[in-house]
Amino acid sequence: MAEATATTTTATSLTEISEDSAQYLTFSVVHERLAMSINAVQEIIETPKITQVPMTPAYIRGVINLRGNVVPVVDLGARLNRGALALSKRSCIVLVEVKSQHNSHVLGMLVDEVKNILEIPRDDVKPAPEFGSEIRTDFIEAMGRVNDVFVIILAIDNVLSIQELATLKAITERVNPDGPNVGK
Amino acid sequence: MNMDAARQAFVEEVAELLQSMEDALFALESSPDDTESLNAVFRAMHTIKGTGGVFGYTPIVNFTHEIESVMEEVRSGREPMTEQLVGILFECRDHTGNLVEAIVANDSDENLDLDPELLKAGQQLVDKLIARNTGGTGGASAAPADAQAAAADNDSNQPKYLPVASDAWIIGLDFGPDAFRNGMDPLSFLRYLASLGTIVDVATIPIWPHNHDDFDPESCYLSFRISFRSDADKKTIADVFNFAEDDCNIRILAPESAQEKYLELLQRLPDDHITRIGEMLVEVGALTPQELSRALNSQEVTTDLDTEEDAATKKRRLGEILVEQGSVKPALMEQAVKTQEAARKRLDENRFIRVDAERLGHLINLVGELVTSSAAIRVMVERAGIEDMNEVVDGVDYLVEEIRDNALQLRMVPIGDSLSRFRRVVRDSSKELGKQIDLVITGGETELDKTLIEKITDPLTHLIRNAIDHAIETPEERQRIGKPTTGTVLCNAFHDSGHIVIEIKDDGAGLDADRIRAKAEAKGLVKSEDVLSHEETLRLIFEPGLSTKDTASNLSGRGVGMDVVRRNIEALRGSVELESERGQGTKVTIILPLTLAIIDGFLVGAGQEQYVIPLSQVSECVEVNPTDTSNRNGEHYVNLRGEVLPFIRLTELFRSYNDENKSSRESLVVVRFGHHKLGLVVDTLLGELQTVIKPLGSLFENLQGVAGATILGTGDIALILDVSELATIGQTHRRASSQYDYASPQ
Repeated sequence: MAEATATTTTATSLTEISEDSAQYLTFSVVHERLAMSINAVQEIIETPKITQVPMTPAYIRGVINLRGNVVPVVDLGARLNRGALALSKRSCIVLVEVKSQHNSHVLGMLVDEVKNILEIPRDDVKPAPEFGSEIRTDFIEAMGRVNDVFVIILAIDNVLSIQELATLKAITERVNPDGPNVGK
Repeated sequence: MNMDAARQAFVEEVAELLQSMEDALFALESSPDDTESLNAVFRAMHTIKGTGGVFGYTPIVNFTHEIESVMEEVRSGREPMTEQLVGILFECRDHTGNLVEAIVANDSDENLDLDPELLKAGQQLVDKLIARNTGGTGGASAAPADAQAAAADNDSNQPKYLPVASDAWIIGLDFGPDAFRNGMDPLSFLRYLASLGTIVDVATIPIWPHNHDDFDPESCYLSFRISFRSDADKKTIADVFNFAEDDCNIRILAPESAQEKYLELLQRLPDDHITRIGEMLVEVGALTPQELSRALNSQEVTTDLDTEEDAATKKRRLGEILVEQGSVKPALMEQAVKTQEAARKRLDENRFIRVDAERLGHLINLVGELVTSSAAIRVMVERAGIEDMNEVVDGVDYLVEEIRDNALQLRMVPIGDSLSRFRRVVRDSSKELGKQIDLVITGGETELDKTLIEKITDPLTHLIRNAIDHAIETPEERQRIGKPTTGTVLCNAFHDSGHIVIEIKDDGAGLDADRIRAKAEAKGLVKSEDVLSHEETLRLIFEPGLSTKDTASNLSGRGVGMDVVRRNIEALRGSVELESERGQGTKVTIILPLTLAIIDGFLVGAGQEQYVIPLSQVSECVEVNPTDTSNRNGEHYVNLRGEVLPFIRLTELFRSYNDENKSSRESLVVVRFGHHKLGLVVDTLLGELQTVIKPLGSLFENLQGVAGATILGTGDIALILDVSELATIGQTHRRASSQYDYASPQ
C-alpha cells in the first residue's frame, strides 16, 4: 500500500537530512504529481468512512473518526478546482497540522495516491511562476525540479487556510468561474 | 506547590473574598449596623492582606491594611458605618481587584512595576478614607504614614509580628510549703532561667503564715514575680520549671509583643488544626501542655456531671479557667474563641472541595469516551449474537449512564452567584444615570454547566445594561406616565425540558418597532417594501450595527451589542427570543442547553448518513406515507391530527439521497424549540442514544443547522442537528415560493 511505501522511504531518507536540501511528500491528484513540505505532515492513513457534512461546498469532503476525534477532510481535487476525487483503493488521507491565527488544527487532505518522499536540493527549488498554472498562484509555494521535471510544491497553509475554508463558500468557483462544476 | 498554581489559587481566593465583601456591602447599605457584614468586609480585607503578604505583594498589603484599620474602627463601634463610607468601600473593593489583577499579571517575582496611575488611584482612595476619618482615633490617622514607610521598604511591615524583646515575660512562681522538703531550690531555677535570657527584675513575695507560731523553718513561704527578657518561646521557659511542677504554682505570661504574635497565629491557624480551644492555644505556643492539663483537671473537679447540654458551655469554662489561672490573657482567649467559631462555620463550607476545572473537564472527556466505548461493545455483542452477554452489557450501560449523569452534575453550579453580580452593575449604572432601579432575581438556584455560566455572563451583562440604559425611564418621566418611580429589572432562570431558560424582563419603555424599522431601512438591512411581522421587526436589533439610541452612552448604544449577544448565545447552541410592548417593557428570553458535553440524543437515518436530534426536543415520532409529504406545489406541511405542521425532508435539504434502499415508508419526527414545532422527515428511526458531543472545530463555525458530531458505537460519525437553525434554513429556502409561519402548539 501507499502508506507502507511512504513509511519505509521516511526511514531511509531521514538519515540523510542535510541543510542544503529539504524533504517533500509527493502525491497525485487527478494524475498530477504534487508535493508538500514533510514538516506539516502528521500521518498518512487509508481512507476510512467519510461522513458527509451537509450544506458545505464540494471541497469539504466530510469528517472522519480519527481515534475518537472528529477531523474534517478536504478534497484536494475539488480544492484545486479539478473536481471531486473518486475514491479508489489507493486513495489516502494526509493528515496535516494547519496553523490559524490562534491555534493549530488537524485537517485531513484527500489525495488520489501517496507517492514517496523526495529530497530536493535547495538549488533545485525555484520560485513559483507568476502565471501559467491552473492552480491558484497563492496555493503554490515553489516549484521543485525532480529529474528535470518540475513538481508543484503546495503552500499548504494557504491551500488549507482555515479562515478561507470556514467561509464555506465555493472559492474555487469564484477564481475560475468558467471552470467545471465540481458538484457531486 | 508550584508558584503559578499558588498564584492562581490566590487570584481565585481574592475573587471569592471580594464577592463576599460586595455582598456584605450591599447588606450594609440597607442595615449599616449588621455585625456579620461588618465582619465579612473586615475578614475579606484581612485575608487578602495576609495572603498578599505571603506572596510579598506589598502594594496589596499596604492598601488593604488601610481599609482593614478603618473597618476595625467601625467594627469596634468607634465609628459609624455611613452610606458615604459604603460607597468608598465599594471603590476600594474594585481597586483591590484591579491591584491583584495587575500585580499577578506582571509578577516577575522581584520587580513589581505597577502602573503609577493605579497606585495613584489607590492613594486617592486611601486619602478619601482618611479624609472622612479625620477626627477619628489616632490609630487610623497614623496609618498612612505607616503605609508610606512600608511602601518605601518592602520588608518594613514584616517585623511587626515578630516578638520584640523590649517587652518582658512575667513569670509567677508560688512555691508550695513542701518545696524545700522535696529538695527544691528556687534559686537554682532562677539561675537556670537566666541562661535563657536576662532576668530584668525579681520581686520576692513571702507569704507568711497568719500565726507566727505556725512558722515552720523547713517550709517554703516564697513567691517570686520575675520580669524576664528572652527570645525563647513559652514552652522552653516552662520547661525550666519542669521539676517544680508538683510543688509550685507556675504562671507564665507572655509579653505584649508575643501576644500579638499569638493573635496573628491564631487567625492564621489552618482549619484542620482547629479542634479544641486548649489545643489551639498550645499549638500557637500561648499555652503549655502542662498548663492545659492543669486547667482540664480543675475543670473536671468543678464539673462533675458532664451531660450533653454542658458540653457547649464546657469550652467557655475552660477558657475562664485558663484566664483565671493567669496562663492566657483575656484578649487572646477572645480571639481563640472567635477563631474557633469561624472555623466551625468554615467547616460546614468545607463540605465542598475545590477542584481544578481542567481536571473535571478531563474526567468528563473520559466519561464521554467510556460512553462511546460501551456503545461499541453493545454493537459488537449484538453482531456476535451472544445472548448471555446482553444482560451484562445492559448492566454496564446502566452504570455508564449513571456515571455520565453524575460526572456532568459535578460541573453544575447554581446560576444565582453570577446573577447576583449584576446587582452591582445595576447599582452603579442607575446611580450614574440618575435612575431608580430594582433588580429582582428569581430562580438563582437553577443549575447550569460552569463553562456555560462563564460564557453567558457577558451577554447577560449586556442585556441588563441595555435595560438600565435604554429601557427604564428617568424617575420624572416614569412619574409623568403613571409608572412607579422605581423601575424593575427582573432576572429569572428556570429549567425547561433539558434546557435552561433565562429571562431578562424590564418594565421600561419597550422597543419602538417603527424606529427599528426606520433605522434598519436606513442601514439597508431591509427594503421598504418588505413585509415583516412585529416579532421579525424586533429581531432586527440583533443585526450588526443597529442601535436605536441616537447618542452612544457610556453603557451601551454603540450598536455593537445585540448582534454579539445573539452570536455568543448561538455559539452555545442556544437561542434568544424577544418580546416587547411599547411602553410596557421588554422581555428577552435566552434558551440554552444544560451542558456542552453529553446529551441524550435520538438517532435517525436519512440518505447515507445518520443524524442525532437532541432527545429533549423530540416530542413525537409518526410514520407517514411518502404521498402525504411529497411536494405538492411546493407545499411543505402535513396535517398532524388537524394541526398544520411544517416539515423539512432531511434528504432533500442535505441533498444526500440513498436510492439503493429507498424504503416506501418514511418517518416524521416532530421536534419543538421555543414555542415552535417542526417536522423532520427521515428515512429510519434508530432509537435513543447517549450522545457525546464532539465539536466540529473552527472549520465549520459558519455551518448552520449542525451543532456538532458524535461517534457511534460502530465508529461511524453522526452529525448532531440544530433544530432551530434548520427551521431558519428551511424557511429561507421556501420563503420565495410560499408564505406561512410555524404552527403554534396551541
